[in-house]
Amino acid sequence: MQNQENLDADGKAESVISIQTSEYDSWGNLGDDDIMLQKSAIFVQEAEKVPFVGDKEPLSSLEAEYKSGSPILLEKIKVLSGQYAAIRRTRGDGNCFFRSFMFSYLEHILESQDKTEVDRIKTNVENCRKTLRSLGYTEFTFEDFFALFLEQLESALQGNESSISHEELVIRSRDQSISDYVVMFFRFVTSGEIQKRSEFFEPFIMGLTNGTVDQFCKTAVEPMGEESDHVHIIALSDALGVPIRVLYLDRSSCDSGGLSVNHHDFVPATTEVASGSAASEIKIPFITLLYRPGHYDILYPK
Amino acid sequence: MIDFARVQKELQECTKDIEASGIRVTPKSDSLSHLLGTIPGPISTPYEGGIFQIDITLPDGYPFEPPKMQFATKVWHPNISSQSGAICLDILKDQWSPALTLKTALLSVQALLSAPQPDDPQDAVVAQQYLRDYQTFAGTARYWTETFAKTSSLGVEEKVQKLMEMGFPEAQVRSSLEAVGWDENLALEKLCSG
Repeated sequence: MQNQENLDADGKAESVISIQTSEYDSWGNLGDDDIMLQKSAIFVQEAEKVPFVGDKEPLSSLEAEYKSGSPILLEKIKVLSGQYAAIRRTRGDGNCFFRSFMFSYLEHILESQDKTEVDRIKTNVENCRKTLRSLGYTEFTFEDFFALFLEQLESALQGNESSISHEELVIRSRDQSISDYVVMFFRFVTSGEIQKRSEFFEPFIMGLTNGTVDQFCKTAVEPMGEESDHVHIIALSDALGVPIRVLYLDRSSCDSGGLSVNHHDFVPATTEVASGSAASEIKIPFITLLYRPGHYDILYPK
Repeated sequence: MIDFARVQKELQECTKDIEASGIRVTPKSDSLSHLLGTIPGPISTPYEGGIFQIDITLPDGYPFEPPKMQFATKVWHPNISSQSGAICLDILKDQWSPALTLKTALLSVQALLSAPQPDDPQDAVVAQQYLRDYQTFAGTARYWTETFAKTSSLGVEEKVQKLMEMGFPEAQVRSSLEAVGWDENLALEKLCSG
C-alpha cells in the first residue's frame, strides 16, 4: 500500500514537470496552470501524509496531536474518549466527508451483513437514478458511478464470488479508481436530491452563497474536491435514508458546568410512502463522523 | 487511464443531436485522446456565421480531470488568447466535474462567446479594448471571424484530401493544417515554404 501511495505521488510529479515545460505558451495561461499546479502540489503533500482512508488508530492519537494545543480541545478529547475508542482519518482533499461516509457505510455492511439494509438502500439508489434522469442528466454521465457503488455494496455481503474481506475494503478505499468513483456517486446523489427538493434547500443555500440552487450544485457539489457543508450531509442522508451522527470538535464552550462535545444527528426525512411505518421508529446512526473545522474523520464508539 | 468507453458514448451523443446543437466532436487520430470540437458562432454576436474549431486533448484522468481545450481557430475575445487560443473558463479548470461532458463543455465555450467576462481576462489586450472601446472590439472580432472562422466551409477531412491531392504527404498536411488553425490557404503557404 505504501508503494501505491508513492506511485500516486510520482504520477502527479510528472504532470508538474509537463506544465513547467509549456511555460513559453503564454503568461496568461501560466497563471491558471500555476494555481492548478499549486493545488495538485498540495494534494501530493496531503497524499504523502494520509491515504484516502487511513488505518484505525486509538483515540489517544488525537490527544497527542493537540498536546500543546488548546486546553478546551484537550478537555473535549477526554470527554470523547469516554464514548469513543478509535478514529480513522481520511485525506483532507475536499472529499473527506464523502470518503468517510463511503468507508463507514461499507464497513458497517461488511460487519453487520445486514441484507435488509442493503435491499433498502438499493431501492433508494434506484430512486436517485430516476431523480437524475428526470432532472435531465445524460445516462452515461452517471451510470458508471452508480454501477461501481452497487458493486461495492454487493461485495460487502459475504457468500458471493465477489465478496471481499475487511482488508480488501481498506485497499479498495485507497484505490483511486474505486474510491473516487464512489465519492462521485455520492456527489451525484447529493446533487440530485438538492435539485429535486430545491424549495427545501434554497434557504440553506442562500445562507452559504449568493447563487441559485442550480449553481450551488454545479459549483459546490458536483466538482470533485469541493468541501461538504451541512447541506451536503442533509441531502445525502435523506437521499439514501442513512442517518449520520456528527461530533463537533471545536473551541466552543458553555458556562454551565463541564465541557461537552456537541453532536448532531442527521436523521433522514422519511419519504411520503414510508411515513406511516417508519415515522415512529427512531433510527440510531451507525455512522459517526468527527468534524473539526474543515475536515471529517471516522469515529468508532466503544 | 482515460475512460474510453465513456468517450465513445460521448461522441455518439454528439452525433445524435448535431442538427439541434451544431456542436460536433470528431476524433483527430485513431486514439480517442485527441479530438476536434466544432462550434458555430452564436447569432447576434461578432462571431455569428463563423465555425470555430477547438482542439481537445483528454488527460489520463478523464472524466475526473477536465478535458484540455484550446481554440484552433483564431478568435478575438477577452477570455481567449488571441495568440495561443487558450480558454479561460472555470469549468475547464477547478469547476470541472465528471457530470459534465465534452458537449456541455463546448456549449459553455459557446456561451462564453456570447457573454465575455472582461473582468477575468485571458487576453488582457482584448479585454481592455472590450471595456474601453467596444465598437473597435466588435469590429476586430467580426473581422477575425470573417478571416479565420469562415474559411473552414470545407470539413477538415476535405481539406486534408485537397492538400494531399496537391502532392503533399498526409502527416505533413495534417500537422501544417493544425499549426495554422485549419486554414487551408495558410497551410498551403506553410507547406510550400517548408
